[in-house]
Amino acid sequence: MIKKVVTLANKLGIHVRPASLISKIASKYRSSFLIRKDDMEINGKSVMGIMMLGAGQGSELELVFDGIDEEELMEEIVGLFEDNFGED
Amino acid sequence: MESLTVEKLFELKQKDFVLTLLTKKKGLSKEIPTPELSRPGLAFAGFTDTYAYDRVQVLGETEVQYLKSLEPSARYDKIKNLFSQFDIPCLVTSKGLFPTKELVFLADEHNIPVIQSRLKTTALFHGLTNFLQDWFAPSKSIHGTLVDVFGVGILVTGSSGIGKSECALELVSRGHRLISDDVVHIKKKMNIIMGEANKQLGHFMEIRGIGLLDIETMFGVRSIRMQKRIETQVELIPWRHNMDYERIGLKERFNRIIDIEIPIIYLPVSPGKSIAVIVEVIAMNHMLKVYGHNAAEVFNERIQKEIERKNRIRTYLETDKE
Repeated sequence: MIKKVVTLANKLGIHVRPASLISKIASKYRSSFLIRKDDMEINGKSVMGIMMLGAGQGSELELVFDGIDEEELMEEIVGLFEDNFGED
Repeated sequence: MESLTVEKLFELKQKDFVLTLLTKKKGLSKEIPTPELSRPGLAFAGFTDTYAYDRVQVLGETEVQYLKSLEPSARYDKIKNLFSQFDIPCLVTSKGLFPTKELVFLADEHNIPVIQSRLKTTALFHGLTNFLQDWFAPSKSIHGTLVDVFGVGILVTGSSGIGKSECALELVSRGHRLISDDVVHIKKKMNIIMGEANKQLGHFMEIRGIGLLDIETMFGVRSIRMQKRIETQVELIPWRHNMDYERIGLKERFNRIIDIEIPIIYLPVSPGKSIAVIVEVIAMNHMLKVYGHNAAEVFNERIQKEIERKNRIRTYLETDKE
């Protein structure tokens, strides 16, 4: 299991487009992927879940990856956050 | 959980409890740390050994009459003694009682808000207890879909992509009501688990291949619900050959969700199976069990009776030496 804390840098936070990007990537892998924010914990493979987080700029998210391909999943997801989902 | 300040309590309940603030505003930022209440009569009288000072203090007729019965100087000393020793979050009086000007003056000096309510003491006590219990209730969010099926709250869980949303959509289309898809906020209330919808975002659903659907606009207001008690959990699992699935249903299995045991049914999913119909049946079966009718037990009893009857006939014929 890998845990990683990321801070959202893009202006609009996680709206529909980033949420669908995250869940699309996460669904390719077999490992489980959870996102925690405050007292919420949601499944990173579900678009609804990710959007329900209502994560805005500056929010801290804990990403939890668990499974056989957790390394690759972690790298791709963290890359997505670092790249601000291709936004400003 | 968000911390509860006196200001928040005042703002949220001002209308319901008909509240007026008797002190200045500066004490309002005080935090209420527990959901319990305290009646401070004995503490005012001087017995403070087991005084629960960190609770909301409710002053009724008795406390106020006691304070009024004292000489002004004695009253001043007693209240001052109490307020300087203990960090009290706030005081609330019932029945629109005014708890003497000495108390209000000293409360201002110690930054303790004093709030007056027009409700009767018992009503105020119950109202405050309900509000505080609700606020401090353990809560979390879980991955699953909550649907009200014939009035039974059914939580559908299972790994992503197994068909929870599709199952819920079919149920909604058959006239049942969606509380929340994919993420359910759950709260423990007394000895039940309440599942809530996301009040801001409304009732949306993601169906793979289509995208997002607005259930309320599509199926109308009768297809949604804001909250529902969770009574049964249905875990969808992929169908596997040779797996040991429940065949009779004599033994119930339970899952623990925030300290409450919820009956759980593991439902194997395979193509061509209508999960929604099975979930409806699970809801009806749950109701039958609640009303005292367990199909598996009834069937078992009938078999036993039948065996007994056959045994009786056999012994009769065997002993018949005619």
